[in-house]
Amino acid sequence: MRTVSARNLLDVDDVTRTELSALLDRAAAFKRDGATRSLLAGIPVLNLFFEASTRTATSFTLAEQRVGADIISFAPGTSSLGKGETIADTALTLHGIGVRVIVVRHPESGFARRLADAFEGHVINAGDGAHAHPTQALLDLMTLRDEFGGFDGLRVAIVGDIRHSRVARSNIVGMTMLGIDVTLVGPPTLLPAAMARAGVRVSRDLDAVLPEVDAVMMLRIQHERIDSSLLPALDDYTRNYQLNRSRLRALKAKSVILHPGPYNRGIELTDDALADPRSRYKAQVENGVFVRMAVLDHLVNGAAVPA
Amino acid sequence: MTLLIRGGRVIDPAQGLDAVCDVLVRDGRIAEIGERIEAGDATVVDASNAVVAPGFIDMHVHLRDPGQTHKETIASGSAAAVAGGFTAVCAMPNTTPALDSPATLAEVARRAAAAGLARVYAIAAITKDRAGIELAPYHLLSDAGAVAFSDDGNTVENPRVLRQAALYASDLEQPFISHCEDAQLKGSAVMNEGVASARLGLEGSPDLAEEIVVARDLLIAAETKKPWHIAHLSTATGLDLVRWSRSRGVAVTCEVTPHHLLLHDDLFDDYRADGKVNPPLRDTNDSAALRAGVCDGSIDVFATDHAPHGIEEKAQLLGAAPVGFTGLEIALGAYAHALPDLPLDRFIACFSTNPARILHLPGGTLRIGAPADITIFGERSWRVDARTFHSKGKSTPFDGWTFARRALVTIVAGSIVYQNGELMARRAASA
Repeated sequence: MRTVSARNLLDVDDVTRTELSALLDRAAAFKRDGATRSLLAGIPVLNLFFEASTRTATSFTLAEQRVGADIISFAPGTSSLGKGETIADTALTLHGIGVRVIVVRHPESGFARRLADAFEGHVINAGDGAHAHPTQALLDLMTLRDEFGGFDGLRVAIVGDIRHSRVARSNIVGMTMLGIDVTLVGPPTLLPAAMARAGVRVSRDLDAVLPEVDAVMMLRIQHERIDSSLLPALDDYTRNYQLNRSRLRALKAKSVILHPGPYNRGIELTDDALADPRSRYKAQVENGVFVRMAVLDHLVNGAAVPA
Repeated sequence: MTLLIRGGRVIDPAQGLDAVCDVLVRDGRIAEIGERIEAGDATVVDASNAVVAPGFIDMHVHLRDPGQTHKETIASGSAAAVAGGFTAVCAMPNTTPALDSPATLAEVARRAAAAGLARVYAIAAITKDRAGIELAPYHLLSDAGAVAFSDDGNTVENPRVLRQAALYASDLEQPFISHCEDAQLKGSAVMNEGVASARLGLEGSPDLAEEIVVARDLLIAAETKKPWHIAHLSTATGLDLVRWSRSRGVAVTCEVTPHHLLLHDDLFDDYRADGKVNPPLRDTNDSAALRAGVCDGSIDVFATDHAPHGIEEKAQLLGAAPVGFTGLEIALGAYAHALPDLPLDRFIACFSTNPARILHLPGGTLRIGAPADITIFGERSWRVDARTFHSKGKSTPFDGWTFARRALVTIVAGSIVYQNGELMARRAASA
């Protein structure tokens, strides 16, 4: 039996908890067995990146190749949206041309949602402003599951510039769906108190949090979005929030370190942290390709649900 | 022309009147109020099962004329006004050019007369071009008919400029009106700062952005003794500051909008800009405090902040879309919806008596001899359909809502300008 439920992946909660598990299973199967190029054979997939991206764009392209999609990419700087065409008209045109899946990144929160509301095919959000980056959250969840075998009783800290982070927001959505206990750590200027909710605590004391967690996710300071009234000198930030040699000692032996990249060495983490055997950066980027293959397959072909 | 308004419940808070009776209008003025008036030559308006009130005055509208007439014109805005039950509107000065010179005010008056529907008053700028630097010529603007002074959406940033403006204009009766938002605290916000903005990854404007300017302006009002009016309060603390200032004897009044009484920052999950407005829609504590403020008399005026835009402009991404939406044609129903238990005399005072008093306008009462500006409304259920608005602005977050009360007949200077859904321009000669 095959069913199609979610049409888009704008954030992690576009899929149910059951579908989320199925997606991670599918990604694990791709990792183990590889994929066949017939899964999306002949399906036109458009990569629409309004914002620079190295790892996400490359990862999506590779995932699309592995499932056999017809890949189209174009430079949005020259698109009609820049000439005053409405989102609805652009969506209509793209669908008319034959595009069935759009992978979109945009600097404004909500762009993926506005596009999806107007587009008849599938939209995968590859990052919209500070809002969501669901495939990043999926690859983080896959990495945690690979490590711990499941999510029961897991405690995760997300550290740094939460305010501007779509990675943090999507991880909060996914982790709370799975019952993971989340602690957000950062200075109040970069961590709105209003982000606390059921299953999500807010702290500014990294040293108190570190020994308690199974995983710590270090976020970079998004300099391009930060002015000098949000942060004093970086030395003050690193004093409080940098994962360095002494803080690595406070982290449990079986805990892991995650980072969505790109890194700012010497700011949110030191070379010691990058070299630490508990770091899982390589697994994260590897898993990224598999979860993106699974998302493409899931949206286009539907989830395989046992009868 | 003689009008006989027959059998309505006539309520005029200015003279403590609330009785079922007839109103006779002759030569553009209220001629007689009483039971079973006979006037053989009069046009009869049946007001049974309806309320006859002094004409509603909206002291906060944006008519976009001159300069942005694709959004609204004085003619289309006047039509929207009378269709919503307003006999007069006060146009904010954020036009192009700004309403900062007697010549521009004269042009607005000319266009309003040509439209021949609602009375249109001008609120002139506090500073030249609303730039916050040079003082506007208050006494010349007063001579040209300005009913108040405001830089509207551009909060005067420099307190030295605002203080000196208030001192210079302190001999004039026209109040200063403050749109209270600190531009620095607001930053690039597209909505309220709170749980919703944190979840949606959108920049929010904190309550403090309003409160800090309310406090500053009320202190300047106290020191300069300039009558002051706070526009569209959106926060509970902002209202408390008004109460505090008033308790110290400062001549301060304030207004609300229907959207701040009824809507909240949970409207942005679809990332559409329909609810994008300045000041932003806040949370349920704020709207409850504002509704309580109306009921206890702390809030004087029901305004609309009617801010029409093209539908395609509002359909842009949240960051690019303009702020505000159409309000004239939903206000009467929306305020009744927000405050179903508010006594009718308070309802009418907020729509008519108080704005007339604050701005020293003719009207606002049905006293014998007063200009016959009359709003007749009734309990008639209706559904908002923005496509049918007379305003060019077809965007409102209330589209599709059902309201229980609506305007039935609007009379300006003794002429029926709106009745049974039809507009009728008044003769240029009248009053």
